[in-house]
Amino acid sequence: MIVLDIVNRTLRVAKALFASSAATKDVRFESMHNPSRYRGEHRVDYETCIGCDSCNKICPTHAITMKHLPFKKQNIVPEVNLSVCIFCGLCEDVCPTKPEKSIILSGGRYDMLSGGWHEDQNNFWVNVDVPQSYIDSRLEEEEAARVKKELAAKKKAAEAEAKKKAEAGKAPTEVQSGMPDFNKGVME
Amino acid sequence: MESIKKLLEKFSCEYVEDYKKTWIKAKLNSKEDLLSLGEVLKTEGLRSLSTISPTDFLDADVMEVNYFFEDLDTKRNLWLKVDLPRDEESCEIESLTPLFPSAEWHEREAFSMFGVNFLHHPDLREIIKSEDFTGVYPFRKDFDWDAHEKNQVQNVQQIVDAFKKEQEENEVDLDPDSSETILNWGPTHPASGPIRLRVHCDGEEVISVDPDIGYVWRALEHLVTKKDFVGAIVAVERLCFMDNINSMTAYALAVEEIAGVEITPFAKWMRVLLGEVARVSSHFMGLGMFFNNMGLHTLAMWNMDTREFFLDFLESYSGARIATAAVEPGGVRYGLDMVMFDELQKALDKFDSSIGEVEAVFVKNPTMKMRAHNVGRLSGDEVHQFGLSGIVARASGVQTDIRIDEPYDAYSELDLEYITQERGSAQDRFMMLFAELKQSIEIIKKAKAHIEEKVASEEMNPTKDHMVKVPKKLPKGEAISRVEWARGEVLMHLVTEEKAKSPYRLKMRAPSFNHTMMLNYLLKGRTLSDIPLIFGSLYICQGDLDR
Repeated sequence: MIVLDIVNRTLRVAKALFASSAATKDVRFESMHNPSRYRGEHRVDYETCIGCDSCNKICPTHAITMKHLPFKKQNIVPEVNLSVCIFCGLCEDVCPTKPEKSIILSGGRYDMLSGGWHEDQNNFWVNVDVPQSYIDSRLEEEEAARVKKELAAKKKAAEAEAKKKAEAGKAPTEVQSGMPDFNKGVME
Repeated sequence: MESIKKLLEKFSCEYVEDYKKTWIKAKLNSKEDLLSLGEVLKTEGLRSLSTISPTDFLDADVMEVNYFFEDLDTKRNLWLKVDLPRDEESCEIESLTPLFPSAEWHEREAFSMFGVNFLHHPDLREIIKSEDFTGVYPFRKDFDWDAHEKNQVQNVQQIVDAFKKEQEENEVDLDPDSSETILNWGPTHPASGPIRLRVHCDGEEVISVDPDIGYVWRALEHLVTKKDFVGAIVAVERLCFMDNINSMTAYALAVEEIAGVEITPFAKWMRVLLGEVARVSSHFMGLGMFFNNMGLHTLAMWNMDTREFFLDFLESYSGARIATAAVEPGGVRYGLDMVMFDELQKALDKFDSSIGEVEAVFVKNPTMKMRAHNVGRLSGDEVHQFGLSGIVARASGVQTDIRIDEPYDAYSELDLEYITQERGSAQDRFMMLFAELKQSIEIIKKAKAHIEEKVASEEMNPTKDHMVKVPKKLPKGEAISRVEWARGEVLMHLVTEEKAKSPYRLKMRAPSFNHTMMLNYLLKGRTLSDIPLIFGSLYICQGDLDR
């Protein structure tokens, strides 16, 4: 009985001599496990972001601050403080843009945060760098939309006035002003 | 159940009503009746007081104290409410500690956080919160956290001063001729984790143990009230990282009950599956820690190896290994890609191939048996008295398991059996962990097969069925939910206001709180060398101890 036990145990230990090494990958260059949903660093798409502020509102640790851009509409994009972020991914969940979300963590990689070098860890922010050309094009677009709207408003006001004049022949009415120009002085 | 109602008839109650299948909900009109009612309940068999949860209603000027009485044998439970005046001078009630020993720390907690004064409590000291909160009650709704945090330097100084003062004075009362001393076990002891035991010992013999807890106090119960119902899951899951899925399930169950939402069968089965994976990963740690505390680190290493495969599955499913945030009110957060089950299968295969060796080397280990056979014994009676749960209760032969007693999610469709041990020693608790590990693996296999089958027959759609919509604003209400956590019973008491966007109050009853209370009881008269062993066998996690 004891002999059998000893033989058993010796065999069990001896197995280790013939087992192949468990390590199959060099994790310095290749991660052991790289799932597609891995919540790595945020990537923010400023072009599709509609500036709805949902990600900022749901963030449980207040890691997100909204960066203001010099437009009228859709003029905020999220920036993330990674030293506060807990990588829960709720910001991605609530992001309403389709088909691609404007703020994405999933599909990230483990080395996004560490980067591998100490310099990479000095910056704890996911900054959104909006190129000047994009800002210019958006401003131009808005300017064009504003001019178009103004013209339409003027046209409408003129039409209304003409109509009133036609009616005024019968009874005098109050003079109505045209649509107020909210944009005046802001854009210049 | 009827007999409890009959008992309550003798007392003047605002209402007595049925709640769920195993609960009776009642409200006492007068706080004077509490003690006599407690006596009657105890003779009726409701011997465990699960927890005490005060709710501070600022507008109504009322402090409502909720007591949760449980009978672990017959599965009858009573949810009792008493109203107290809110102002700090008259906010007092008779202590239940003489009748229900499990109330001791829970009353101390209610006193520290809400300033409810428990009369005739044997040892009403502040607990959990740090010294800078001495004399103020942080969970009261009118407490100003921002103002408190402005004086950060001063607060830290207060903590340091209090610690120094304690170290200077803690041996003043000891007999100078004896060899009595106060020993700090932790918080930097390799086996302790962030907890400190003030061990009053005479040479090697332990005279008493006074745990100092609160080193990882994050005020989670307060934090959730600052978040919306979805964002709160990240606070709830931080109850303990080892088994975070089940704590989120408990919270989600409570929210769903108030919202009146029924989740899909797929989500129910996924909760079971994920919950058991989390339980397995927790039990692996527990088994490893038990041997670690005895000085042998091999088992922990082996377990970590296998556990990694299960964490890989969690990572594939949710995108994170530990802080998964994978369960939300309304279901589970992500759809399932059936390819992920291959990864789970890999983990199960790894488990099956390696568990035999663990059993042969460690579970049947004669040295461990000799060492742990007679250490830290708890009788079934003590389990009832001190409201213990989980593996600690079942190791003493008490048949309690929320998955069977009050089945939630898809557990009602699984026919589980109670696993118990008889003697209630440290060794039995280790055996329980091992047996439950195997049980969990069986449940995972069943749940996996069930989901695969239903998906194949197209009764479940794994990419779309995972969530049902829960309204952002909840109606006024309150609910309790219980789940069988890796370490025992988690009870969550959720209160919401009208059109609430965030919880008004969430009480999280965590099992480690009761289990840590047992340290003094178990270690009295033992030797210093038993401290790590008993501590390790109680399967305590400081995350849910401090919250």
